[in-house]
Amino acid sequence: MRLVSISLRNLRIRLVATVLTMASIVVATALYAGILTMAEQTKARYEGSIGGYQAVVGPKDASQLELVLNTIFNVGDAPALFPLQACIDLREGKGFSRRGQVRYAIPQARGDSVSRFNFPVVATLDEMFSVYEWQKAPLRFDQGQGFQFGWQDLKAFAEALAAHENALRAGETSPPPRPQLLPAWKQCVIGARVARTLGLAVGSEVVPVHGKMGEFGYHEHPEATCKVVGVLAPTNSPLDTTIFLPLGVHYLIDGHEGGVFVVEIPPGKTPDDAKKLPVSPGRLGLTAVIVDPKDHFGARILRTDFGSRPDAQVAWPQDVVPKFLRQIGNVADALAVIAWLVLLVAAVSITVAIYNTMNERRREIAIMRSLGARRVQILGIIVGEAALLSFFGALLGLVVCHAAALALRGLVEDQTGVYLDWSVVPVWELWLLLGVTALGGCAGLLPAVKGSMTQVADNLANNY
Amino acid sequence: MIHLRNVEKRYARGSESVLACAVDRLDIQKGEQVALVGRSGAGKTTLLHILAGILRPDCGEVEVAGARLDQLGESARDRHRGRHIGMVYQTFNLLQPFTALENVLLGALFGRGAGGDARARAELLLQKVGLGERMHHRPRELSVGQVQRVAICRALVNDPDLVLMDEPLGNQDKATGGQVLDLLLQIARDGNKTVVMVTHDPQSATRMQRTVDLSTLRGAAVAPAATGGGR
Repeated sequence: MRLVSISLRNLRIRLVATVLTMASIVVATALYAGILTMAEQTKARYEGSIGGYQAVVGPKDASQLELVLNTIFNVGDAPALFPLQACIDLREGKGFSRRGQVRYAIPQARGDSVSRFNFPVVATLDEMFSVYEWQKAPLRFDQGQGFQFGWQDLKAFAEALAAHENALRAGETSPPPRPQLLPAWKQCVIGARVARTLGLAVGSEVVPVHGKMGEFGYHEHPEATCKVVGVLAPTNSPLDTTIFLPLGVHYLIDGHEGGVFVVEIPPGKTPDDAKKLPVSPGRLGLTAVIVDPKDHFGARILRTDFGSRPDAQVAWPQDVVPKFLRQIGNVADALAVIAWLVLLVAAVSITVAIYNTMNERRREIAIMRSLGARRVQILGIIVGEAALLSFFGALLGLVVCHAAALALRGLVEDQTGVYLDWSVVPVWELWLLLGVTALGGCAGLLPAVKGSMTQVADNLANNY
Repeated sequence: MIHLRNVEKRYARGSESVLACAVDRLDIQKGEQVALVGRSGAGKTTLLHILAGILRPDCGEVEVAGARLDQLGESARDRHRGRHIGMVYQTFNLLQPFTALENVLLGALFGRGAGGDARARAELLLQKVGLGERMHHRPRELSVGQVQRVAICRALVNDPDLVLMDEPLGNQDKATGGQVLDLLLQIARDGNKTVVMVTHDPQSATRMQRTVDLSTLRGAAVAPAATGGGR
């Protein structure tokens, strides 16, 4: 038998009080661990996910954070459209590209999603699977391969669509035909989590949807049903939850006609007037262009070129994400302070709970003293009770935190793009466990001092 | 074993100071079995607590088992009590949440230590007093006589030099209690232990080798040969 056995027994005797007091420790610890886990894994996720994105070109109207969050992390709706011309200039223009400062500039357009999980659909080029580099290497496939829709296909498509649109706007009786959705384009590549969650594989079919299931405006696009031709290997990034299909499909989906071209409204004209003005292939709307400058010089030129451009801007994930994470960190710090306050309240509740038992335990303490227990041993027993209570509470709190991460990881990923890895046990959890135990021990000091001051003779004599 | 000289203990009651116990001289030799008698309020329990080191006298010399308790600090007296003194109370003072064996081990924990041999010693003692089958029962699951035996085992588990008993038969029938008391006295005799028992029951006092009336300890020197009685 040891002193700790007596502490444990005392906790067991007052089981209801022990459980109730422990509950507050469990909640506080789980809250604190949850906040730290979210902050840490968000940071890791966001920092880890910008590996393939050096620069993102997007509409001028959006904030850089909005642009980065939407393009890289699939968070929020696409902010606005900007003209394809910006991408043409990057790839073929006289200024930037002529100097050969860009390794790739891959256009993207997004807006639809798939399934009740709202996995985002990103329309892009086949370069996403051949030229684009995710953490310094092309994306790997678990199954199949990429689809076929290249830059020249896009340019030809834009010209045909612009010619058709201009004939319509000019009121021609026999306009050139609208480009058709070719069966060869109706292919898609899906991320690893999409395949796992929806049970899809090469050969499966995917139907893009507009809007969110159950919300106004939600509808399917059966005409754009695509066959899965490739399943990407897991990247533990938002790429895992993305469905890639050819840009040509995106523009020909029913209902997208109105938003295909970016129309500039000249001074003195109304939006309706602008709809009658001719369009050029370069006005085809994009939501983003993923750009990789070759070196610092290229990055500087890109910054200069797009700094004065009226229709597009460039965002640098390496700058934007750390700023964003600092903001998240501040929020996490504030929440952590709240969690510590909850923990302090829990510690006070331990003090009160044990202190209130001291009167009824005077005889028990006097008996132990009469057997030779020293004051410091009585102090140890009572502080041990508080520390054990806190230790088990903190341990349970950490278990609750991991269980919550396991249960809510899907929801969290859908809402924030952060994949919670519930199985990771970071070192700070050990420190938290020790810290909460120490805090509990301190909370037990006051009742322990009172208990150790118990008068032996008086309290033994009371029972005669 | 026990030598008291000019010991006084007073309690404050309001503004008054009440003399609870006064002993001019008391000597008890090693292996002696002494009954301490006296009228109610004479200070028997106070004297027992002074001998145990639970109370410190206001003045005088208290030497018990080779230690000057009046000169020791509280912690040292606690340690001395744990190692050299076993105590049995009228209400036995077992801790209810603990089993019989654990109650005995508590005595060892605060005495000479509750290591592996303490457990063996505790089990042996419980078997010796006929509680081998009941050692894992809690006090409320035992009869009064069995509880008394557990209390005696707890007092003996550290192999003390001195056993102090405060009305150990007060809460039970004399026949059963007497048998258990005889058992304790036999064990004490076998181990040459000193036993001091406070009692107001003359019949119990006769079981001891010597009886000391507390009222005679003031103003008269009481030595082993001075007051006689018992068997």
